[in-house]
Amino acid sequence: MTQAIAKGRTGAPPVLLGAAGLVAFVGLFEVLPRVGILPEAYFPTASTIGRTMATLVTESSFWVSFGETVQTWALGLAIAVAAGIVLGVVIGTVPVLRAATASTIEFLRPIPSVALIPLVIVLVGTDMESTLILVVYASFWQMLIQVLYGVADVDPVARETALSYRLGPWDRIRYLVFPTALPYALTGVRLAASVALILAVTGELVIGSPGLGHDIETANSSNSIPRVYALIVVTGLIGLAANLVARAVERYALAWHPSVRADVPA
Amino acid sequence: MIRKTSAFIATTLLVASMAACSSSSTPNAPSSSGPAVDDKVTVGVIAILDVAPIYLGRDKGIFHKHGIELTMQQAQGGAAIVPAVVSGQYQFGFSNVVSLLLAKSQNVPIKAVANGNNSTGSTSADFGGLFVKDPNIKSPKDLVGKKVATNTLKNIVDTTVKAIVAKDGGDASKVNFVELAFPNMAPALDAGNVDAIFVVEPFLSAAKAKGWKQIGSYADVDPNLCVALYFTSTQLMTQKPDLVKRFTDAMKESLAYAQAHPDEARAELTTYTTIKADDTKNLILPKWPGDIDKTSIDKLAGLAVTYGLLTSKPDLTTLLP
Repeated sequence: MTQAIAKGRTGAPPVLLGAAGLVAFVGLFEVLPRVGILPEAYFPTASTIGRTMATLVTESSFWVSFGETVQTWALGLAIAVAAGIVLGVVIGTVPVLRAATASTIEFLRPIPSVALIPLVIVLVGTDMESTLILVVYASFWQMLIQVLYGVADVDPVARETALSYRLGPWDRIRYLVFPTALPYALTGVRLAASVALILAVTGELVIGSPGLGHDIETANSSNSIPRVYALIVVTGLIGLAANLVARAVERYALAWHPSVRADVPA
Repeated sequence: MIRKTSAFIATTLLVASMAACSSSSTPNAPSSSGPAVDDKVTVGVIAILDVAPIYLGRDKGIFHKHGIELTMQQAQGGAAIVPAVVSGQYQFGFSNVVSLLLAKSQNVPIKAVANGNNSTGSTSADFGGLFVKDPNIKSPKDLVGKKVATNTLKNIVDTTVKAIVAKDGGDASKVNFVELAFPNMAPALDAGNVDAIFVVEPFLSAAKAKGWKQIGSYADVDPNLCVALYFTSTQLMTQKPDLVKRFTDAMKESLAYAQAHPDEARAELTTYTTIKADDTKNLILPKWPGDIDKTSIDKLAGLAVTYGLLTSKPDLTTLLP
């Protein structure tokens, strides 16, 4: 039914529209440098970028870097998600802890991860670990805040009911906190996934730890402009894939939730 | 983002020395008593032409001959390399002379151990040069009141540009500098955002190919201008003088080898940069003498004082071997 509405409004299925938008964008990037509106020396045409990507994927060193970036991203995200859930549930369910940590969290959270770069270089070095710290730091807050809000969102009536039925702490987490906080947590995962990728590439770019970000910098220092664009497109594709996976997980895990179900009003 | 900002080094200095103190255990180089096992050594470098000799020396087995197993860590500039060397994550590092002078003036515990690279001595064919697009700018003194791109403010590039302008009779203090990474300079000059750029290879070849006019180079400061050096921490210097000496010897040999075999040095570039093999043929390589040219470093230190990077001329014996 929702699809019917969308179709009625726009005249074409969203997937087709999206594809058309993408084709138009790629076409624009092909034409603008060709006709000289964008200088071709600094803005290679879409076909040049495509050809560069085709050679890129035949190089083993590219796949090594690809693996390094994905590993840093996935590991960082996993640590941040696990830590965010555990700490979020603990802090969120204990009011004293919540009150005691609120100001500290609000102070630490806005610190941009990149501002910690000088510190991690000195303390950890320029290996993958230093980028990992940035990734964990940045994505942890996304996760923690979402879980905290999720835990705080438990319906008071439901809570009272659970207390009346003398549900133990574990049962309350399982039947009360978990279903309430899950949609928040999954949103947190999705947000953290994109932030984690941004920081993984930034860390590699600025610190020089191995990965696609470092390859972008090397290509840039070597004046290999099409290669720079090709690598940027690759990082974009990773981000796209990450988001798609996160959304799929969200749809699957929240199939029961009104925000995902189509048959009940959200 | 090739940055060697002194301010950055200053802010990290304190933490760096703290880290150096706290990690009292020496870096991952095993103390080998015999030559049977190579000492594992990590060197922080920048993925540019200048460091071709150390890669060549590794691949030709020169370092192995001196009992050193080299690992190169590509960093984004002195700002990342200096703290990593001081804290012992790298045993050696590569940095430009002015960055090292600035670090030394802030008492960062480092010491130069081998030469890096030098000007070719030819003002028209050097690996770093000053380019303009506007035909009305005929000589360096015309840059007074104009905007010039430098990769880092208050470092070797703007000091060089100021020296070039002053040598031509212009008032160097009236040149305006804009901080831009080398890769972004040509687009900025093209767009007219700056009036002149100082680029190094491979961007110098690209600037030449655009037909832009070269009005200066590193060689204008000094024909033997020492641009960069390899250095270590004073801690490693006192703890493993033998390792440092072997590194210096191997580096000297590698520099001599690269100087004598430019074709091999060009081929080596394709192993750690993404410059295409065809393009490496036309690049202007720096000069790689084995010995550190103290006269030109003294001159740079003087210029650094003249242009306010340093308050007083540092005692070069504390930095140079």
